[in-house]
Amino acid sequence: MTATTEPVLEVGGLVKHYPLTRGIVFRKQIGAVKAVDGVDFTLCRGETLGIVGESGCGKSTVAKMLCNLERPTAGSIRFKGEDITRLSGRALKAVRRNIQMVFQDPYTSLNPRMTVGDIIGEPYEIHPEAAPKGDRRRRVRELLDVVGLNPEHINRYPHQFSGGQRQRIGIARGLALRPEVIVADEPVSALDVSVQAQVINLMDRLQSEFDLSYLFIAHDLSIVRHISDRVGVMYLGRIVETGTDTEIYDHPTHPYTQALLSAVPVPDPEAREDRERIILSGDVPSPTDIPSGCRFRTRCWKAQERCTLEVPALAVPAVFRQAPGPAAHDSACHFAETRPVTGPAPGPGVPPEEEGQT
Amino acid sequence: MPEQDGAIAATGMGGAMDLAASEATTLERASGGPGGATDTGRPRSLWSDAWRDLRRNPVFLVSALVILFLVLISLWPSAIAPGSPLSCDLAKAQDGPGPGAPFGYDGQGCNVYTRTVYGARTSVTVGVCATLGVALLGSVLGALAGFFGGVWDSVLSRGTDIFFAIPVVLGGLVLLSVVTSNTVWPVIGFMVLLGWPQISRIARGSVITVQQNDYVQAARALGASHSRILLRHIAPNAVAPVIVVATIALGTYIALEATLSYLGVGLKPPSVSWGIDISAASPYVRNAPHALLWPAGALAVTVLAFIMLGDAVRDALDPKLR
Amino acid sequence: MLLEVRDLHVEFRTREGVAKAVNGVSYAVDAGETLAVLGESGSGKSVTAQAVMGILDMPPGRITGGEILFRGQDVLRLKEEERRGLRGTGMAMIFQDALSALNPVLCVGDQLGEMFVVHRGMSKKDARARAVELMDRVRIPAAAQRVRDYPHQFSGGMRQRIMIAMALALEPALIIADEPTTALDVTVQAQVMELLAELRREYRMGLILITHDLGVVADVADRIAVMYAGRIVESAPVYDIYKAPAHPYTRCLLDSIPRLDLKGRELYAIKGLPPSLTHIPPGCAFHPRCPMARDVCRTDVPPVHPVSEERGSACHFWRECLDDRDH
Repeated sequence: MTATTEPVLEVGGLVKHYPLTRGIVFRKQIGAVKAVDGVDFTLCRGETLGIVGESGCGKSTVAKMLCNLERPTAGSIRFKGEDITRLSGRALKAVRRNIQMVFQDPYTSLNPRMTVGDIIGEPYEIHPEAAPKGDRRRRVRELLDVVGLNPEHINRYPHQFSGGQRQRIGIARGLALRPEVIVADEPVSALDVSVQAQVINLMDRLQSEFDLSYLFIAHDLSIVRHISDRVGVMYLGRIVETGTDTEIYDHPTHPYTQALLSAVPVPDPEAREDRERIILSGDVPSPTDIPSGCRFRTRCWKAQERCTLEVPALAVPAVFRQAPGPAAHDSACHFAETRPVTGPAPGPGVPPEEEGQT
Repeated sequence: MPEQDGAIAATGMGGAMDLAASEATTLERASGGPGGATDTGRPRSLWSDAWRDLRRNPVFLVSALVILFLVLISLWPSAIAPGSPLSCDLAKAQDGPGPGAPFGYDGQGCNVYTRTVYGARTSVTVGVCATLGVALLGSVLGALAGFFGGVWDSVLSRGTDIFFAIPVVLGGLVLLSVVTSNTVWPVIGFMVLLGWPQISRIARGSVITVQQNDYVQAARALGASHSRILLRHIAPNAVAPVIVVATIALGTYIALEATLSYLGVGLKPPSVSWGIDISAASPYVRNAPHALLWPAGALAVTVLAFIMLGDAVRDALDPKLR
Repeated sequence: MLLEVRDLHVEFRTREGVAKAVNGVSYAVDAGETLAVLGESGSGKSVTAQAVMGILDMPPGRITGGEILFRGQDVLRLKEEERRGLRGTGMAMIFQDALSALNPVLCVGDQLGEMFVVHRGMSKKDARARAVELMDRVRIPAAAQRVRDYPHQFSGGMRQRIMIAMALALEPALIIADEPTTALDVTVQAQVMELLAELRREYRMGLILITHDLGVVADVADRIAVMYAGRIVESAPVYDIYKAPAHPYTRCLLDSIPRLDLKGRELYAIKGLPPSLTHIPPGCAFHPRCPMARDVCRTDVPPVHPVSEERGSACHFWRECLDDRDH
């Protein structure tokens, strides 16, 4: 997991609005669902960028736009300098080889009527230039082995595997074309706790072996922390804070991030009394009716008039610009400030003795 | 969310039942999936699983045997019915069973047994061809509408609404009365014309459901063409409901042909059809009930066999019972 | 003791054979106490709860042994009508997916009011008023206006509160919450769990919380029962379990939580897969995956050893497990 600073994916001003129309014959647009409303980030080679946020924040839509499953309404996605949103036809198909996706649900991400060998081998059928015909079977077996499955099971069907194993098959499919970027949309959320660790370890290993860059989208904050180098927090279609994992988890400056982190249950009963819970009021606003100015202001305890009028920019807040430190990272808040991290951090001290247990 | 098949089992039946069902399906998966050492073996596709279930279902076995028998006598009616269905002897009109005529004779002196056997050919031909036509036309239109959506979908939906509105029997009376040719094809054509909306609706719904699965998105993300997605990913998974409905509909098409022939607008003599025989035998049913009962009985048994087959196929393909 | 489950056995007839979902489960909950039942999918935690409520799908499921004593009375011996009378008034259940647990064609006011009309014989008008009160109590804003709305018009967190309101309507003595917040966002989860805790304190109810989330458990539970392959492998007060687990499975679960100081290293992952319930391994069901497995584990099913007055562990080597580490 050696991250470099060489950007491989640069996203600028990404927007996805789904129009709401009325009328059958003459369609009139009466509004839009602003699923993604201006997202910028950079993914460097060998890096894992974690995107966290709650349901409806638009992170899955961002994933789909990166893999060209949705066309952006506006904005650019540059893969190694080239804007892939402008491509079509053959050029687009060629670029797809470099950005692959791993899906969330192991039960619906594999075609139940195809054998596992066919599923993993399909990328070679769609992109015949990636592997000569005679070699494909061997490569599929190799991929099965790499993800920790028995290559002899190449003719089995997905329903003959467990959820964790299916997810590995999905990962193998994603690796077939040797992409440079893998977009993982909640890859372990649908798995049992004991299996999640197995798959996360696998993804970790594959990253170094295959020199991959991950965009890791999840809502489980502890897992994101474990695997990510940098993290971006999304709320209602925009990124509200980004930084390294230490900066975000130990020194969050945006109130939403602080509330999010305080809500994560800590597996330590002794911490019960010390926990200072920030309970947000109200519900997330509808993406068709986004509040003016700062979109978080309707639930923010710090909201003031300026928040209604001015959209905060995602940049290092003025108060931290003078003093470099972990709090000086991009945060879209007019009144960004750190909050003391309360409660003991989980588990210092004794390292586990189970070496080589997996 | 932990590993649960709640999504598949959720039919809005209520939380408790859902959980019980989903836990049961989880248990199914837990018991069906291979663990490291407890490996249950050979590759098993979903079709082979369905076939295995069908083979064990007595309803399927009985109906399949009946249908097999019908198909055989359609192909070689002379094997069990000597003589010709058209060689009639007025002298024997309305007679009871006699040598070579176990079912007796009808009003024209024709051998009811021979006519009944030859009638099977007509019924099976019409049923199978009409179903194939309906299934093909309906599936293609429905699939395209479901897959592309938008304008295609609107046009198709309005089209199906219009055709659905035409009452079948009445439409048959009107349309077929102007047809002069006496082959099965106009009847088949008419059935396809009025039958495709039913299948297209089912195909459309099935395609829309299947499309939502991630594996379709995965194929698109790989750069798969529309035709690959439709043929490789959507069709095999969307075809099950169409098969079920089509198999059941087969029976109803056979009955429909008989109805139309009975009403005089389907097939007409000298074609041999159960509907014609039933129609002809109705006036004198009191005197010679056998002339009506045997063709009617054969019709009922045939329709029943196909419907039973459709039921068995539906149970075997039903994912919820997996 | 409010609820006592004794040696419960539940089986399911499946295509592949008989699945032993619950194999001799015993636990107890007192009024005002929160018991967390922890386990992964296939551990039998939900099935046990459904058996207690009496909502198990009876074919293919079958209760083949044990007793469920609610307020001292064995509910398995009761007739269906008597059992039905208990649901809602004595014990109530909250499910994971509020959207499918609520009737989509009835407005929430009707669904909440139904409890009062059916069980308390109230008039529709009075029932409606009580429904609004309840919605207020679970902090649904603008309750009086929203009482006529349908379930799909509420957000996930709100729906969960409505389900909680329905469960509480008749002030039952026991609430069983089956993964109530798993499908919710973490901020909403915090809201809902806080609400549950508050209401539980106010009404002095017993709560059985079924979950797989060790964080949620640490926050609210008094006692924990850890289940694996249909058996309880460890039960203890919550502080003891996190500090010093006495069963390898519990230890493995705690170890696989991502930890700050171990970032960059591999997560501890329990090798292998949960067992198929039609082919539960002989001896200790956990032995194929256990880092401490010995020969005796393959042959002898471990009984529940009393670790202390309040703790039990179904492991032959619980002492070793306890001494080995300290958190």
